[in-house]
Amino acid sequence: MSLDSARQAFLAEVAELLQSMEDALLALEDDPTDAESLNAVFRAMHTIKGTGGVFGYDAIVEFTHTVETLMDQVRSGQVPLTRPLIETLFACRDHSAQLVDAIVAADTPDAPLDPELAQAGAVLLARLAPAGAVAAPAPTATPTREMRNLPVASDLWMLTLKFKRDSFRDGIDPLSFLRYLGSLGELVHVAVQLDPEALRIETFDAESCYLQFGIGFRGEVDKPTLAGVFEFADQDCELRILEPDTAQSKYLELLAAVPDDQVGWIGDLLLRIGALTAGELERALQTQSSEGAGETPEARKRRVGEILVEQGSIKPAVVEQAVRTQDAARARRQEEAHFIRVDAQRLGHLIDLIGELVTSSAAIRVLVKRAGIEDMNEVVDGVDYLVSEIRDNALQLRMVQIGESLSRFKRVVRDVSHELGKEIDLSVTGGETELDKTVVEKMIDPLTHLIRNAIDHGIETPEIRLAHGKPAQGTVRINAYHDSGHIVVEIADDGAGLDTARIRAKAESVGLIKPDEVLTHEETLRLIFAPGLSTKEQATNLSGRGVGMDVVRRNIEALRGTVELDSRLGEGTQVTIVLPLTLAIIDGFLVGAGPDQYVIPLAQVAECVEMGAASGVKRHSEHYINLRNEVLPFIRLTELFENADPAHRTGHRESLVVVRFGHHKMGLVVDTLLGELQTVIKPLGKVFERLRGVAGATILGTGDIALILDVAELAAIAEGQRSGSGKRLASA
Amino acid sequence: MGELVLSNRASAATHSEANDEVTQYLTFAVSDERLAMSIDAVKEIIETPSVTRVPMTPDYIRGVINLRGSVVPVIDLGARLGRGPIVLTKRSCIVLVEVRVGDEAHVLGMLVDEVKNILEIARDDIKPPPEFGSEIRTDFIEAMGRVDDVFVIILSVDHVLSLQELAALRRISQDSASGGVDGES
Repeated sequence: MSLDSARQAFLAEVAELLQSMEDALLALEDDPTDAESLNAVFRAMHTIKGTGGVFGYDAIVEFTHTVETLMDQVRSGQVPLTRPLIETLFACRDHSAQLVDAIVAADTPDAPLDPELAQAGAVLLARLAPAGAVAAPAPTATPTREMRNLPVASDLWMLTLKFKRDSFRDGIDPLSFLRYLGSLGELVHVAVQLDPEALRIETFDAESCYLQFGIGFRGEVDKPTLAGVFEFADQDCELRILEPDTAQSKYLELLAAVPDDQVGWIGDLLLRIGALTAGELERALQTQSSEGAGETPEARKRRVGEILVEQGSIKPAVVEQAVRTQDAARARRQEEAHFIRVDAQRLGHLIDLIGELVTSSAAIRVLVKRAGIEDMNEVVDGVDYLVSEIRDNALQLRMVQIGESLSRFKRVVRDVSHELGKEIDLSVTGGETELDKTVVEKMIDPLTHLIRNAIDHGIETPEIRLAHGKPAQGTVRINAYHDSGHIVVEIADDGAGLDTARIRAKAESVGLIKPDEVLTHEETLRLIFAPGLSTKEQATNLSGRGVGMDVVRRNIEALRGTVELDSRLGEGTQVTIVLPLTLAIIDGFLVGAGPDQYVIPLAQVAECVEMGAASGVKRHSEHYINLRNEVLPFIRLTELFENADPAHRTGHRESLVVVRFGHHKMGLVVDTLLGELQTVIKPLGKVFERLRGVAGATILGTGDIALILDVAELAAIAEGQRSGSGKRLASA
Repeated sequence: MGELVLSNRASAATHSEANDEVTQYLTFAVSDERLAMSIDAVKEIIETPSVTRVPMTPDYIRGVINLRGSVVPVIDLGARLGRGPIVLTKRSCIVLVEVRVGDEAHVLGMLVDEVKNILEIARDDIKPPPEFGSEIRTDFIEAMGRVDDVFVIILSVDHVLSLQELAALRRISQDSASGGVDGES
């Protein structure tokens, strides 16, 4: 891994961590005590600090360290998490992102920081300072391993001290230790015991030490501090420290909060939280190695805990919690190990190759059929099946849940509603709906625009809302779900709704419609997608900067999607976006019309019937058909495309393909039904970018090209041709 | 498949050293008229494969072809120049041209009646286009090249194959009706 790719990985990690920090902060706004979110914020800062340190990005380390320290204080309850503090933490999150971008872009870790950025950081840190006693600048470059001093509340520490015989001879004065200990707190009671050996007069040596102490101690200290008192006498006494119960519960809490990446061997873990001293651990490890050489690491791990309890260094409950923490961390790490980061380009290349494979296997099928080799049919079927499985699995690789991208809008809504003085709640449902990552990326811009529209133009200020008898808080609702091979995303608000009279007036003033033109409610609403029509007189900071709904529509249509809008004045607006799940390969249904062949996305095909009275299809009128007493609009492809084949004119029986799109159904009359095929979508290119009704092209096994039909647009075109006034709308 | 692949400017550049400012042009025929185009833009010339018609497009868009796995649009140069669609014969060819829009390169096919040869025309023999009197839209003509005392129309790739204009998908009759584009005199 080169340094450059390591940096890329760092950037990706930072982006992910900052996203989770943002999510956590949003959650904390609702519940400032949510331990998991507090941890997430802490962990994000901590990990960025650590990784930043590895690269030697001192500025990052310094900044994140301060935030981390503060978060630690918040976590332990020393600093209350107030709203202004959350606000500052949001700003810290954004600053971290800028910092990382700036520093990584600068390429050399010690390049001087942009003074503006440095100033912004200093301001933020200053804002953090009154909130809590902010720590001194972090030790740079190396990830910190410091363990915080935990103040331990009252109750008694129980210390047992057993001095060795040679203590006096080594110049140790037991009492001096006790005196020092007394300076740290209160010696509640000291019991002096004599080693029973001392009573055996025949071996008694006046120069030997037979003293043992049992001490009850009260003081605001932690275990390592206490052990430190006796450090000088390390070789000459046996020390056991048993913490008070309050300290124990503190350990349990700390253990639960240890970040995963710091969980190591159980001894290290206990050492880190201060439940164990280095001496105690060493003793236990010695005992262990003398007892069980050659055992598996798994068995050994359990035993360190046991030995520690046995030697009285620690209480069983703490060990149990430590083991639990360890297991949990291990499980989470394993879970992480189930995921691999893959370069999106590689994935794209794989899918392109599979597209070629699909086309090639179709070509083989054609050749085998032409050559009439019966024996090969089975093999070809097998290959076909495998190819379609590979295709589905490869496409699945690129599927992501839409919720990951929608969560960013929480921040947008939050910031913007603050800015505008509006109260807005964003509710997201269907976040688990999956679609191709390439589609997600391309739909973010239009979605952002729609949501900003909803906040800016849709939702009114609390005063106006209350005056209209609505709740002060407005709601923006995003809902996503799958529907016949497409993903549907609805963006709805309960705001002011669109004023059709004003849209109409504006459309007339820019010459989009004639004053005497009669339009339905829906047609008027659809005018808003026409270029150059924005009803908001004043361009605001947020939207109305010349990129209007026409851009939204164009972006969505470039993805072979559709966008519809419904609005009632005073009640709100709902925009519905329908997008294909993938832009790469779909299941298609091949039909023939005139001399040409066309593909209809299979997910949209409801059924196929032969035309003719016998099958229940009756021609109802010129544009409608009666299918088993259901009246359907229909299009004859050869008429719409003006490509009727004279050879088919007489005595030929046409077929009806019933297609659905959104809530609509329609019939397509074709000459022949040619069956299902795997369809690799090839873009038609720039020349055809404004062509409607055709979504792309695919290459058939014969090497010929078939065009992929866009059913919804065909319906719109046909409707436009029938009702004269709609024609302009359809092609606007 | 008998494809004639041109390696740019590679062929027969040895003679005519009289003027060193020589440019190479590919010449082809549309409706019996000999036309030229700078060879720089030309990528390849292929025999006409089966062209798939694209519905609801003007007649100068002949359709799309499968060029080694990618879908390439084909412009009917006869219709584009206002001479009526080209009737396919054994000699009709598709000239593949690369058109750049910003940083993106797009490949377009240009259907012609017949590909003739590659001409070298000295700079001195290249004259500005006539202001009127041509049957072809004036902005389509880049210059006139004199070859053996006969003038050959040198087409402007940027205008004849303007992606922006092609993508409007308007019929030529509508162009002149709306007055948006230069009339065809």
